Amino acid sequence: MSPTFSVSDFVASLNQTFEYAYNSVVIVGELSNLRVSKGKWIYFDLKDENASVKFFGTVYMMPGPLEDGMMVQVTGTPKMHPAYGFSVTAQSITPLGEGSIKKAAALLRAKLTKEGLFAEERKRSIAYPPTRIGLIASGESAAYVDFMKILNARWGGIEIFHIDVQVQGESAPGQIVAAIEKLNTETNLDAIIITRGGGSADDLIAFNVEQVVRAIAASRIPTLVAIGHERDESLAELAADKRASTPSNAAELLTPDRSSVKAQYRQALSTCTSMIHQNIVVTLQNIVHDSRIASMNIQSTLDSRNKELVQARTLLESYDPRRVLRLGYAQVRLANGNTVISARMLHEKADITLRFNDGIVDAEVKKVSVSA
Amino acid sequence: MTTSKKATKTFAERREELNQALAWFEGDNLDIDEAITRYKKAITLVEELEEYLENAENEIKKLSA
Repeated sequence: MSPTFSVSDFVASLNQTFEYAYNSVVIVGELSNLRVSKGKWIYFDLKDENASVKFFGTVYMMPGPLEDGMMVQVTGTPKMHPAYGFSVTAQSITPLGEGSIKKAAALLRAKLTKEGLFAEERKRSIAYPPTRIGLIASGESAAYVDFMKILNARWGGIEIFHIDVQVQGESAPGQIVAAIEKLNTETNLDAIIITRGGGSADDLIAFNVEQVVRAIAASRIPTLVAIGHERDESLAELAADKRASTPSNAAELLTPDRSSVKAQYRQALSTCTSMIHQNIVVTLQNIVHDSRIASMNIQSTLDSRNKELVQARTLLESYDPRRVLRLGYAQVRLANGNTVISARMLHEKADITLRFNDGIVDAEVKKVSVSA
Repeated sequence: MTTSKKATKTFAERREELNQALAWFEGDNLDIDEAITRYKKAITLVEELEEYLENAENEIKKLSA
């Protein structure tokens, strides 16, 4: 016999059955009839060739702007609403397939570019080398191993605050956002590094999710995002203050190589040695030059003094009375020793002394004749 | 005593001291006596920095979000 329900009981029973059988389902399909209500609620359908299912959710679980026609994967819970009928309450929506992923990223990129999130003037510099950094990466990943290997080889003394997160899959965006927010509560961090290895567009989708991109742009601490892939940049990288091409490259950008730094210090010392040496050489040259000048000055002074001496000697010799006596003149003195310089000083019979060059003669004046 | 004095200075502080010491040598008319004193200080700083670079290790602390 078929069970009989009231309408309300039937809805409640159906929801119990859904909860038991399909507590959480993942449905893949083409997005259609997407609309946003009051800036908060979203309604859309997923369809394929034969069927269409209604969905309900909030704008906060959207990975970014979406458009009808995109292939998406929705995780949600099926529910029969007492008034509005059947729908799936969505917990997450993820674009699926390279075309849809690129389209979603392009839409989000246009939106965030318009808001200025990727503007160059927002970029901040990172202390070089840093002393404290936050690291958001999967602890099991090759990206983590590569980053730490290169960082340890190049530099030391850095405190690394690591938060182990999933970098792909449904929970990745939420974990990455939570990690960024947690590290922003730490003091004195020089940078937050977010890294993972390369992968397909599907693998890297967390780095094109609006919440992740906004959390990176809003980080109080400067960010460095390193996603190991060659082609299109993820929006997370565009929002970061700095981007690196690989996890290893992130470690290289953050730190100098310790051996080259040691070489630089030695080179600087060598330059100082050369400068001191050069200075000593110049000083010695100056001393030699100065001593030559001094020597020349002394010699010149000596020559000059010598010349003056010779002149003085010649002059002195010209004053020597003996020179006159040698010419045949004699000096006449009175008995009292006074030199006779006039005939009027003499008188007859006066005793006088005649001094010649080679001797003295005592004499007596016979006659005095004074010239007119 | 010397070790504890060294430990009070960070790498960045020592590097700044070295930069200042090296900058002095770029001036004109170096006094040789002072140059030699400053050079000895620069050598000490370089040796300390080298020791740091050779021995410093990174430290990982695990956090939960």
